[in-house]
Amino acid sequence: MKFQIEDVTVYFPYDYIYPEQYAYMIELKRALDAKGHSLLEMPTGTGKTIALLSLITSYSLSKPHTPIKLIYCTRTVHEMEKTLAELKLLHSYQLKHLGPQARILAIGLSSRKNLCVNPSVLAAENRDSVDAGCRKLTASWVRAMAAENPNVPTCQFFENYERAASSAVLPPGVYTLQDLRVFGKEKGWCPYFLARHMVQFANVVVYSYQYLLDPKVAGIISKEMQKESVVVFDEAHNIDNVCIEALSVSVRRQTLEGATRNLNRISQEIDRFKATDASRLRAEYNRLVEGLALRQNLPISDNWLSNPALPDDILKEAVPGNIRRAEHFLHVLRRLVQYIRGRLDTENVEKESPVSFVASLNSHAGIDQKTLKFCYDRLHSLMLTLEITDTDEFLHIQTICDFATLVGTYGRGFSIIIEPFDERMPHIPDPILQLSCHDASLAIKPVFDRFQSVVITSGTLSPIDLYPRLLNFHPVVSRSFTMSLTRDCICPMVLTRGSDQLPVSTKFDMRSDPGVVRNYGKLLLEMVSIVPDGIVCFFVSYSYMDGIINTWNDTGILKEIMQHKLVFIETQDVVETTLALDNYRRACDCGRGAVFFSVARGKVAEGIDFDRHYGRLVIMFGVPFQYTLSKILLARLEYLRDTFQIKEGDFLTFDALRQAAQCVGRVIRSKADYGMMIFADKRYSRHDKRSKLPSWILSHLREVNLNLSTDMALHIAKEFLRKMAQPHDKISGSGRKTLLSQEDLERMGDGSMHEMLY
Amino acid sequence: MKDDIFINQAKYIKEKLKKSGLKNVKLQATPMSSSTKLDKDKKYFRRILCSIFWVDLGFSVFTFSRLFFPLRLPSTFSFALQIFPSRSAISFSHYNIHKTMASGLVTKRAKYKTTIKDPGTPGHLRMTLEKILFVPHNPKSAGKLDVEFRYIKGQKHTKEGSNKPPWLNLTNNQNGSFIFEFENYSDLQDCRDFVGKVLAKSGEVSEKPTVAYPDEQLSASEMELRIKLLQEDSELQKLHKQFVLSGVLTEAEFWATRKKLLDREASKKMKQRLGFKSAMVSDIKPSTDGRTNKVTFNLTPEIILQIFAEKPAVHRAFLSYVPNKISERNFWTKYFRAEYLHSTKNSIAAAAEAAEDEELAVFLKQDDILASEARKKIRRVDPTLDMEADEGDDYTHLPADEGDDYTHLPDHGIFRDGNKEMTESQNELYKRTLSQDINRHAAVVLEGRAVDAEFEDTKAVAEALAQSKRESSNKGEPDGDTSRERLDRLSRMTEIEDLQGSNNLPLAPLCIKDPRDYFDSQQANALRTSGDALGGTEQIKCSLSILEVYSSLRESISSIKAMGWKEPIVKPEAAHQVFDALTNSISNTKHNIGKNPQESVLDRLPRKTKEELLHIWTSILELLKHFWASYPITTSYLYAKVNRLKDAMSNIYPQLEEIKGSVPSEFRHQVSLLVRPMHQALDAAIQHYEASMQKRSTQSGEKPNGYV
Repeated sequence: MKFQIEDVTVYFPYDYIYPEQYAYMIELKRALDAKGHSLLEMPTGTGKTIALLSLITSYSLSKPHTPIKLIYCTRTVHEMEKTLAELKLLHSYQLKHLGPQARILAIGLSSRKNLCVNPSVLAAENRDSVDAGCRKLTASWVRAMAAENPNVPTCQFFENYERAASSAVLPPGVYTLQDLRVFGKEKGWCPYFLARHMVQFANVVVYSYQYLLDPKVAGIISKEMQKESVVVFDEAHNIDNVCIEALSVSVRRQTLEGATRNLNRISQEIDRFKATDASRLRAEYNRLVEGLALRQNLPISDNWLSNPALPDDILKEAVPGNIRRAEHFLHVLRRLVQYIRGRLDTENVEKESPVSFVASLNSHAGIDQKTLKFCYDRLHSLMLTLEITDTDEFLHIQTICDFATLVGTYGRGFSIIIEPFDERMPHIPDPILQLSCHDASLAIKPVFDRFQSVVITSGTLSPIDLYPRLLNFHPVVSRSFTMSLTRDCICPMVLTRGSDQLPVSTKFDMRSDPGVVRNYGKLLLEMVSIVPDGIVCFFVSYSYMDGIINTWNDTGILKEIMQHKLVFIETQDVVETTLALDNYRRACDCGRGAVFFSVARGKVAEGIDFDRHYGRLVIMFGVPFQYTLSKILLARLEYLRDTFQIKEGDFLTFDALRQAAQCVGRVIRSKADYGMMIFADKRYSRHDKRSKLPSWILSHLREVNLNLSTDMALHIAKEFLRKMAQPHDKISGSGRKTLLSQEDLERMGDGSMHEMLY
Repeated sequence: MKDDIFINQAKYIKEKLKKSGLKNVKLQATPMSSSTKLDKDKKYFRRILCSIFWVDLGFSVFTFSRLFFPLRLPSTFSFALQIFPSRSAISFSHYNIHKTMASGLVTKRAKYKTTIKDPGTPGHLRMTLEKILFVPHNPKSAGKLDVEFRYIKGQKHTKEGSNKPPWLNLTNNQNGSFIFEFENYSDLQDCRDFVGKVLAKSGEVSEKPTVAYPDEQLSASEMELRIKLLQEDSELQKLHKQFVLSGVLTEAEFWATRKKLLDREASKKMKQRLGFKSAMVSDIKPSTDGRTNKVTFNLTPEIILQIFAEKPAVHRAFLSYVPNKISERNFWTKYFRAEYLHSTKNSIAAAAEAAEDEELAVFLKQDDILASEARKKIRRVDPTLDMEADEGDDYTHLPADEGDDYTHLPDHGIFRDGNKEMTESQNELYKRTLSQDINRHAAVVLEGRAVDAEFEDTKAVAEALAQSKRESSNKGEPDGDTSRERLDRLSRMTEIEDLQGSNNLPLAPLCIKDPRDYFDSQQANALRTSGDALGGTEQIKCSLSILEVYSSLRESISSIKAMGWKEPIVKPEAAHQVFDALTNSISNTKHNIGKNPQESVLDRLPRKTKEELLHIWTSILELLKHFWASYPITTSYLYAKVNRLKDAMSNIYPQLEEIKGSVPSEFRHQVSLLVRPMHQALDAAIQHYEASMQKRSTQSGEKPNGYV
C-alpha cells in the first residue's frame, strides 16, 4: 500500500497496516524533520522494523536532493539477517511501484568470520583466528613478499578485488551476508573488503551495535559516515549495558601471563629485526616523532582495531619520547605488567578511581599518565613494524594496552575494582582487576554528536524517561505506543503459589527449597500436557537452571515432561545452543511441540523470537535480578545514585523487569499470533515490581490473574487456549480498528486521525 | 469357507492364476527389484507384474505395478481388478460371485431371448473358455444354443440401477445377438466379467469391453492408495469386505464417502514411522537385588540402538573394540561404569579412572564426533537463529583463554550465582553436563531412527547404523538447495502474516489412529476439570418457533448479501460453547454408566462381544450414511441402492438379537442399553423407507407410465 504522511509518500509492502505502525511512522517522520533524536517504545509483535525501514527509505526517496543514509544497528547477526530480509521485501515493492529510481544499495556488514569465502581461512574456529588468518594472507608486507616469491600464499579473492580496484563495486540491491558471500564467490572478490568499501556508498547499512559504539571498531569502520545519517538502534533496551561494556576491561592472572609471553616474543622479534633490518625500526622512530598520524595512509588490509578510547579524547600530538624506541616501550610494558601483578596479589577487595590508580602507578612504576594514554597506539605501530600477522596470539598484551589507554584517558565515570577471589567461591584464589565504566553516556556521546538523527527503539523501554538520563541526551520525540488488539491474544498471569498453596519464588533464601523446585516442576508438567506446540521457560541464571534440571531429573519430573514434549536446553556453548534452537524449531514444526529451557539475559532471551507455534507459552521462573553482591554492580549503582539520583532499588527492579518483559515478549509477533505468559514468582504480585512492566503487558494483566496457584493457572490456560483456537476475523467490526487499509488511511484526514488512533 | 483350510501361499496363487487362465504369466516378487528388465514384445503390454499384496483365505488382491492387461480373477471372494489395455487407466470394481465360479466355467440360470420383446426361454447358461452353451429347462423348447466364443464380437448389458432387467447382449460377428435375462444383477456381472475376460484373452478385444460404472477410471496410484488404506486400517477393511464384497455397496459408493481420506492420504504419501522413545536412556534405572551391591542393567537392542545414535563415540568404540579387543559384556560393563561416574558428577574421579583405562576414557571424554558434526550442522542452521555468527561481531568480549572466554564480561551473575559448585578447568574434558545429554537426546529423537528393522544382535545394530550413517554422509550437502531452503525460511519468518493474505505453511496432516482415543481423553479431561459439574447432559432448551428461526436466517442471509463475509458465520464464543457441549455429550453417551472415567462400559464387556458390537455399530453407521445420502430418490439407480441398503439393514436386526442372546446375563442390561440407539437409528431409517415407498407407490399409481 502507498499513503501520504504530510509531504512524504510512504511505500509499505503490505495490504494493511496496524494503526500503531502508522502512528509510529508519524512520530518518526517528525523526528526526522526536526533533525533530532527520538526514543520510541512500541510493543513487540507490531512490526516495528518494517515501519521504520519503510518510513526512512520513503523519506529519503521523497527528498532526492538531500538523501539520507540509514545506519541500522542490530544486536545480533541473525537480527541483521532478518532486517535485511524485510528490507528486501520492501525494496522489491518499491521497485515495483517506482521503477528504477527507487534503487538503493543496502548491505549488511559483519566480521571476516561471517563474510570470508576463502576456505583455508574459514577453517579457523573463532573470530580472532579468522582475522589473523586473513592478515597472514593479505597484509601489505605479505603481499609485497609474494610479489617477489610466488611461494608465499596469498588470498585469491583479495588479490582479485585489489586488481579490480575502483571497478569493484556492488550493483544496487539489498545484500544479506549470504548474498555478499555468493556475490563474492561469483566475482572472485573478497566480500569482506568489498563490503567495507561499499559502506561509504550504501544507502542502508545494517551492522552490529559494536561497530558504532565500541570505539575500537567504530574508529575503523564507521569513520566516514556522513552527518546526514539516521542511526537506528533496534531492540535498544540494553543499550546502556552495551555502552558500558564497550569501555570496560578486565585483567586476570592468565592475561598477565599471556602478556609476559607476548612481550618476550616481541623482544625476540626486535632483536631479530635489529640484526637484519635495523632501518625499519629507525624509520618507525622517525614517524613517531612526527606524530601518530599513521592510520590514514595504511592500506585497508593492515587496519586493526583502533584506539579503545573515544576519538575526541585522543591527544593529537607526538608520542612521548620515553616510549618512542621499541625497547623502551617494551620496558614500560614490562613494568606495567609487573605493577598490575603486584596489585592482583591483594588480600582484600580494593576499589579506587582511575586518578588515584594512575598516581600510584606513577610513583611505583614510574609510568606517567601521558605514556599510558599512548600505549595502545604505540603497540599497534610496533606490531606493524615487526610485521606480526598472527594477531590472535597477542590478545593479552592488547588487553593490557587497552586498559592502560583507558585508564590514562578517563578520570571520571570509571572505577577500578580488584577482587582477590570470586566471593561466591572464596576458597579459590582467582584475582581479577576490572576497569569498569559506569557512565553509559560516554560511549554513545560521539554518536549523538555526530549524526543528525538517532532513533532508539524497542519493545520495552519502560520507564521511558529513564533512558534520556542514562544516556544523557535530549530526544525531540519520546513516545510509548500501546497495542491495539483484535482479540485478547496475550494472557499474562502471575503465579504465586504451587498447587499445594506454598509460595514460589527464586528469592535467595527460597530458591533451593525442594518444595519450590517441585512446584515449579509440577507447573511445567501440567502446562506441558495442555499447551500445544512450543513452550519456553526462562530461568534466572545458568547455575540455577542446571540445578533445577538436575533435581527434576532425579525426581523423575523431567521424564514425565519428556513424555509430552521434547526438551531442549540453552547452554553456555553457543554452537550447541544454536543447534538446540534449530532442533526445537523443527520439533515445533513437526506438530507435537517442544520445551526450551533458557536463561534470562542469555543470548537466546536477547535475540530469538518464539513467535507463532514456536512459543505458545512462556514461563518466567523467578525475577531476573542481577547478582547484587557484584562489586561492579555496586559501583555502578553508586555512580547512578550520585550522578543521576536514581535509587539503587529502583534501578535493580527496573533492570530485572525489563529483562522479564523482554523474555515474555518473545512470544508475540503479530496480532494474529497468540501466547500466554506466566510470571512464576510471588514477588511479581507486588505492585512496585509489577508496575515496572511495560504497559502493553500490564493492560492485559487482569486483577484476577495476579495471585494464582498452579491449578488456577491451568484452568485459565485451558480457557484461553480454547478461546484462541476459534476462528477470528482480522478486521474487527466493533470499536477501534486494528487493521487499516489504504482507503482507511486516505479517509482520515489529519484531524480525524487522532481520534482513530488514540 | 468356514472350514479350516491351509493354503500354501505361493501354490495357492499359482493355482488361482492357472484357474483363471493365466498360465503363462510370470510371477514377480514384491517389491520388484529395479534391475529387472521388461520384455517389449507383446502387443499391449510388456509383462504383467503380478504382486500379491496380501492373501488371506479366499481374498486376494493383485496389484499390477506397471502395465495392464485384461484379466479377471475369479475366486470365492473376488476382489479383482479388471484391466484394460489402455495402459494408464484401470477399472477397479468389485464383483460379487455367490457361487464359486469353477475355473473357466460359469453356470447361471437365465432366460434366453432372441429379441428384446421375446419373453425368453428359461434355462441354464454355461460359459466355458471356448464356448457358450444355453440349455433350456424344457429340453423340448427351441432355445438351445451352442456358440463358440470366437464368434462373439462384443457384449452389451443393462446397467445396474437402470430400471431394466439384467440383460446381457452378446453380439456375434454376423451382427446377430444373443440376449440373456438373468435373475439378478450379480449373475449378470459374473457372466459379463467372464465374457469380458474370455474376449480379451482370445485377443479379440472389443472396442467397448464393458460399460463400466461411469466413475471407475482410476489411475494405478489411486488404486494402490486404496489398497494401502485398506491394509492399514483393519476396520475399514472389515467394512469393505462386508459391504462391498457382499454387494450392498459398490466400490465407488464405498469410496465416495471417503474422498477426503483418499485426498489427504495422497498428499501425504509417507507413512508414519516409529521413532525413538522420548524417555532418556539414562533413565534406565538399574535394578538391584537388594542384598548384594550388584546392579543389573537390562539392555535391549532398542536401547543399544538409541545409545549408539546418541553417542557416536560409543558406537565407534563398539565397532572397533568388540569383539576383537574386549567382549561385548565387558564393553557394556565399562560403559555403565562410565555412566555411573558421570552421575556422581565427580570429574576428578572420572579423570583418574580415565587415566587408568583407555577404553573407559572413551566414554568419559567429550564426544569428538559430535563436536565435528555440530560444526557441520551449524552451517545449515536457520540464519535467524544463528547465534554463533554473533561472536564474530562481538568486539567487547575478547576471548583470552580457551575454556573461560566468558569471564571477561561483567556477567550480571547469570553464569554463577550463589552456587558453590566448582570445577577445575583441567578436568573440563571429563565434565559432561546433563543439558548436553538432554539436547543430544532430543535431537536424536527428532531425527528419527535411521535403521528400521528389528535386530536381535547388537553387532548387527551397530553395523546397520554405521551403514546408514555412511549413506547419509555420502549424500553430501547439496549446497544450493540448503541455502535456498534457508532463505525461504528466512523470508517466511520475516513476513507479518496478518497484514496480507495467507500463504500455506507446510503442515503435516494430523493422523489420529483411533478417534475414540481422542474422545476418551477429552472426556477424561472434561471430567477432571468440571469435577462437580454433575457430568449430566443439561439440555439447552430452545423454544423457537419456525417463524422466528426462518426470520433470523433470512436476516443473516440478507446481511451477508449486503456486507459480504465480514464476520465469521458463527461467533467464536458460540462455537466454543457448542464444541464444549459436543465433546461433553460424546463422551457422556459412552461413559454415563461407567463410574471410572477411564473405563467405559464397553471395556467391561467380554472382548468378543465388545468387538462385535463395535463392528456392528460401524457397519450400521456406514449403511445409514449411504442410506440417508441417497434421499431424495431421483433416479432408479438410487432406488435400487436404497433397496439394497434396506435389505442389508434388516439383516442386522437378527445379528443384534444374537449378540444380546449370547452375552452373559450380568451384561445383558448394558448391552441392551447399547443396542437401543442402534435399533432406534435403524428403525428411523426403515420407517422413512417405508413411508417413501408408500408415497412412491401412490405416485406411480397416478403415473402409470412409470415416469421417474
